[in-house]
Amino acid sequence: MSSSVISVISRFLEEYNSSTSTKLKVVDAYLLYILLTGALQFLYCLLVGTFPFNSFLSGFISCVGSFILAVCLRIQINPQNKAEFLSTSPERAFADFLFAHTVLHLVAINFVG
Amino acid sequence: MSQALTPSHYLVASDVDRLQAVLSQPFTDLKSAYFSVVGLSKLGVSVADSNDACSFIKANVDSSSIEALFYAAEASQAISSCEIHVSNETRDSLHAAVSEDSTVSQIHQAVSALSSLGLPLASQEVVSALKARISKEDNVVAITLALQTASRLSQQAELGEILEEIEDLAARLDDLGGVYLQFEEGLEATALFVSAAYALSDHVDMEPPLKEDQVIQLVNSIFSKKSWDSLSEAFSVASAAAALSNNRFHKPVVVSAVGPATVSHSHPLLQLHVTDVLCQPLSSANVLVESATSVASKAAILSQTPFTLRDGIFELNFMASKPASGYYQFSVAVTGDSRLVANHVELKVKVSTKVAINNMDLSVVDKDQSIGTKTTRVEYPNKGKASFIADSHQNFAMTFQLVDETTGVELTPHQTFVRLHNQKTGQEVVFVAEPDSKNLYKFELDTAERKTEFDSISGTYALYLMVGDATLENPVLWNVADVVLKFPDEEAPSTVQSKNLYVPKPEIQHLFREPEKRPPTVLSNTFTALVLSPFLLLLILWFKLGANISNFSFSPSSVLFHVGHAAMLGLMYVYWTHLNMFQTLKYLAIIGSLTFLAGNRMLAQKAVKRYSLHHL
Repeated sequence: MSSSVISVISRFLEEYNSSTSTKLKVVDAYLLYILLTGALQFLYCLLVGTFPFNSFLSGFISCVGSFILAVCLRIQINPQNKAEFLSTSPERAFADFLFAHTVLHLVAINFVG
Repeated sequence: MSQALTPSHYLVASDVDRLQAVLSQPFTDLKSAYFSVVGLSKLGVSVADSNDACSFIKANVDSSSIEALFYAAEASQAISSCEIHVSNETRDSLHAAVSEDSTVSQIHQAVSALSSLGLPLASQEVVSALKARISKEDNVVAITLALQTASRLSQQAELGEILEEIEDLAARLDDLGGVYLQFEEGLEATALFVSAAYALSDHVDMEPPLKEDQVIQLVNSIFSKKSWDSLSEAFSVASAAAALSNNRFHKPVVVSAVGPATVSHSHPLLQLHVTDVLCQPLSSANVLVESATSVASKAAILSQTPFTLRDGIFELNFMASKPASGYYQFSVAVTGDSRLVANHVELKVKVSTKVAINNMDLSVVDKDQSIGTKTTRVEYPNKGKASFIADSHQNFAMTFQLVDETTGVELTPHQTFVRLHNQKTGQEVVFVAEPDSKNLYKFELDTAERKTEFDSISGTYALYLMVGDATLENPVLWNVADVVLKFPDEEAPSTVQSKNLYVPKPEIQHLFREPEKRPPTVLSNTFTALVLSPFLLLLILWFKLGANISNFSFSPSSVLFHVGHAAMLGLMYVYWTHLNMFQTLKYLAIIGSLTFLAGNRMLAQKAVKRYSLHHL
């Protein structure tokens, strides 16, 4: 059983490495970073309790928001999805990404206290 | 039938004296001389040194001023044998002042001066001038002066229209709570109106259109103030008092009891002051008790009984009717003059008496009635010789009667208390003694039942009887006897502190909000490092992937974009540490728009490059 899981995973990783462009891998690395940061924050909260709750929420929501925005960026700049995003160029996607992040950070900093 | 209003505010003798004293102050100028001299004459008093006053007036009169002539003429008129002579020119200037072009005040002063100096005046001209001025100066003070002026004119003149102004002015009075009636212009205006209205009404012999209740409300307003701010205010009050005590139509009556309205065997006379508003007794009046009924039993004691006048005070010997003690409602009527107003008065009279305690019997009764009761009689104000001992098997009992000392009628006063006082511990317990149907008072102390009130502390208690009532002249506090009480289950007797409510209470320590428990610093620091570590991982991954900035074009928009973006991130940090939302938004707007423009340019350039690259 475990061997099949390992083989599935290794096959997946192979496919990933070969078929994904570098640009997308860069974004994926960024996604992983955000994920880890959020997970570690959550772990800390579980360990020591929710005081101060607003700070935890601010940091965690910032991670979640960043993750979602990066996923959106990845979808929009993936050339395989070009058919669905005819009016949105990658530059436009990046600009949207930056603007949304500005708003997200503004809110998060306001809330972190 | 609704209750007629009676004055609730009026001048008493000391107030009249005070008014006189205010008006007797030494003169400072002609105007104050006028107020003092004429004001005192209204009170029926002449000024202290009339010769002095007369020379003062003559020295200070300025013949060119209508106002000065007015003060001088009126004041000299009030002093006997003081005459002022005026030249023909002065007389002509006074006549000239009577015209439609002068103010009502000037016309009033000129006419009064001419009248007081005994000079002739043309009444009809005055009337037409006044009518013209009233329509132009439609205020309370002006119309009052017009009324006052009209009262100095010939009776043949047509004063009808001016007379109607009284009713119009009366309609402008403000009714305050049904008690006061006054102009919003104040006390002085109201008082001057009253004296002017009655002056004119007397002059034309027509009753002023004021209802009785309105007259009393005016009395309340004018005489509610017992010390006066200015000489003119005192003068106006004196004028109004003189007008109300001596005019042809209305004479308000003030009825008040001399001291408290209480009679008893030692003071059997009910004495009343029946006066006019200037506190002068109405010696010619008949004062009658229409009815006197007991408040408690509603029985009528007196009917149509007259008071007798002695030394300015009306008296009635109420005790001669042998009333029982308590309160009585008197309905008093003052007759003898058709002008009297508020001459039916309701009065509450108290009849007090002395109480005597009869048949005070103390006994100790055994609960199971096996041993006969031993009754001891104690006479007031002696104390029972032997102490009474009662333990848990016995009851202590007390019976007595309270009677009126003079008539022997049984009484039930409001307060009949039995107080037991432990001399050693200072503890006291109070009980109420209740009368039975035959008005015999009984008090029983069941030692076992009442032990909680006594905290089960045995010992000698002094027994007091307390009797009191509003209608008793001799409240009683009588140490009847000593009682030794024995309680079962006695604890060690502790001195009971009398409950002192006024010692400082235990201090309340304020509990400040405890700060939340924080995790140990080591743990926090560890996790700070941990949370920052994925960034390192990211850099490593990017390096491995071969992400680079080799394609970085140093165009100005590109540089500006990156600088602006870095500035925005820096602003976020500064926002966290120093700024508030408004300041941040302000800076963000500036930096953001710059970054946006630069970024737009840069991305457009990139797009063009990409497009040209892909479509080569």
